[in-house]
Amino acid sequence: MMKKIFEKFWSIAGAVSVCTKILGIVLGSTLLLGTGVIFQARAAFQATMMRLLEEQSISAARDLAARAADPILLNDLVYLQNLLDETVKNSPNVRYAFLLDPQGQIIAHTFHGGFPLALLSLNTVAATSHHHTVLIRTNEGLVWDTAVPILNRKVGIARVGVTDLSVQRVLSELTLQLGLTMLVVSVAGILVAALLTLILTRPIQELLQATREVAKGNFAVRVKRWADDELGDLADAFNQMSEQLALTENLRREREWLRRQLLEKVIASQEEERRRIARELHDSTSQNLTSLIVGLRMIEENCRQCPAQPKALELRAVASRTLEEVHELSLRLRPRILDDLGLAAALERLAAEWEARYKIPIDVAIRLNERLPGAVETAIYRIVQEALTNIVRHAQAHSASILIERRGNMLRAIIEDDGIGFDPQTRFGEHHLGLLGMRERAELLGGKLVIESAPGAGTSLLIEIPLSTLSSE
Amino acid sequence: MKYRILIADDHAVLRSGLRLLLSSTGEFEIVGEASSGIETLNLAETLQPDLILLDLSMPSLGGLDAIPTLRKLAPQSRILILTMYDEPQYLRQALKRGAHGYILKKAADSDLFSAIRAVLRGEMYIHSSMTRVLLDDMLSKSKAEQNVGAWNTLSEREQEVLRLVALGYTSTEIAEKLNLSPKTVETYRARGMEKLGLRTRAALVKFALQEGIIEEE
Repeated sequence: MMKKIFEKFWSIAGAVSVCTKILGIVLGSTLLLGTGVIFQARAAFQATMMRLLEEQSISAARDLAARAADPILLNDLVYLQNLLDETVKNSPNVRYAFLLDPQGQIIAHTFHGGFPLALLSLNTVAATSHHHTVLIRTNEGLVWDTAVPILNRKVGIARVGVTDLSVQRVLSELTLQLGLTMLVVSVAGILVAALLTLILTRPIQELLQATREVAKGNFAVRVKRWADDELGDLADAFNQMSEQLALTENLRREREWLRRQLLEKVIASQEEERRRIARELHDSTSQNLTSLIVGLRMIEENCRQCPAQPKALELRAVASRTLEEVHELSLRLRPRILDDLGLAAALERLAAEWEARYKIPIDVAIRLNERLPGAVETAIYRIVQEALTNIVRHAQAHSASILIERRGNMLRAIIEDDGIGFDPQTRFGEHHLGLLGMRERAELLGGKLVIESAPGAGTSLLIEIPLSTLSSE
Repeated sequence: MKYRILIADDHAVLRSGLRLLLSSTGEFEIVGEASSGIETLNLAETLQPDLILLDLSMPSLGGLDAIPTLRKLAPQSRILILTMYDEPQYLRQALKRGAHGYILKKAADSDLFSAIRAVLRGEMYIHSSMTRVLLDDMLSKSKAEQNVGAWNTLSEREQEVLRLVALGYTSTEIAEKLNLSPKTVETYRARGMEKLGLRTRAALVKFALQEGIIEEE
């Protein structure tokens, strides 16, 4: 239950800005303190005033009783009336005063609009008492009514009523003043709090800004150490972190660059090696084998009756098979046609062979008017090769397509199949590794590879390689 | 009279083998051997042989590039390509440049004689493993002609999408260009291709070029 309430509170209080939180705290405590002070002051004041009023009531009644004894005996009514009026007039708190004879009959009073008879029975005093005070609640407020016997009630009773009207008025005034003071203090508090917040949140704001910059990859940002407090420490720690990140990033970039360089070199030398071996196989080994075949053929022709003739036939068959294999091997290493006739011819050949081998129809459209830089031709050729391998391995396609075209200074290659497709976000498996290799090749030439695919929707690979930045070979 | 043959191949052992093989029947006389493209041109000009047995891969000047010059220098000489290359493009190029025959080295032992004889008779000789290429070329042309006129049966949207597909835009790019979802683009594309009886983008590109829907560069 408590937790729930706290959660509810925090969902509101926690959601506002730090500025609002601080203002809330300052304003809240000011109001709380102010209200407390007001209540405390009022209560203390009221208690004191009530005691004073009671005392005033007593003293006024006793004074009246003392001074009224003789005139009552002399029956000097005019004097008595004056005495009463004077008692009332002397103190604003005295609401009324009257005198009763021993029988309880009114001798004189200060009520102008007739005497409220109910008042008579509300208070009385024993003859031996010093005084007797009762607190009466009237529609004019509280009244301390004190009855004092005059000469042991033999002459009569003097009664004086003291109201708290003026006290109430003073109390109201006091409250108002305290309230106003509180208001002023609150405003001052808000101002101070706002200033405080500004001082407090400014470094936080700056840190926030800087953090966002760092997140964007700008590691050069530094924040100022505003104060020698925790926030200052945070700023220092932040700066250290940025510096570290920048270092790490630089290191990473450098490594990446080195890796790229290395990769480029590896790919280039691999390609060169393949080219060399393929050429060697083609130019030397194949030719030797052909010579061998022709020579064996010669032997067959020249001695049809020799015992070696069947052997020669057999050897020629072996040589032919070997020639076939060497040819195949050389082709797979690096087709001569790629160097001799270019990408278009090489891809058409690759596609034709692929189609024949895997029985998947493939269309090739190559819209190029001229040879491309050697590196681009090789890269595209290898990428298409990999893509076709992927199609065979994973796509379960019914057909495939290769489109190579030049758009401005971009070479675009689109390799498509109508197979089962896959989720390009998947980062697992051999499939992904193949794609990674293709992407790497494209990126080494400043290009990119985009995969468009979804399960059941086939796969499109778009490779874009800029041509302008590369010098033609 | 024996037919006079010039052998052009950079491989000496093969040359001597061929010389022996061709001489053995008594039908042919080997009048010269060249080991490079330039040498072939020189010998052909001076010897004016009946037939030049030409390898495609030779130093200084490749066989393919030598053909047109050979035709000029020795217009009476027949040219028979003897090569390792079984790529259709080499065949096409060789024929386009004026060769009279094309035989693969792997068939040198079995079919060389018939090839030489055919070429000398004035026929064209294409080795049987390569004739398929020419047939495919022809067939693909006539196949593409079937679709003529089908373009106009497409809706405007389908035409728009297919034109962009032919221009090499991916589905996502087309979707962005036309303010459609990639799925919708796929649908238009599939429907249009179906109507045209085409299966792949590359086939569409060829069709579009042929129909003048997109421009040749």
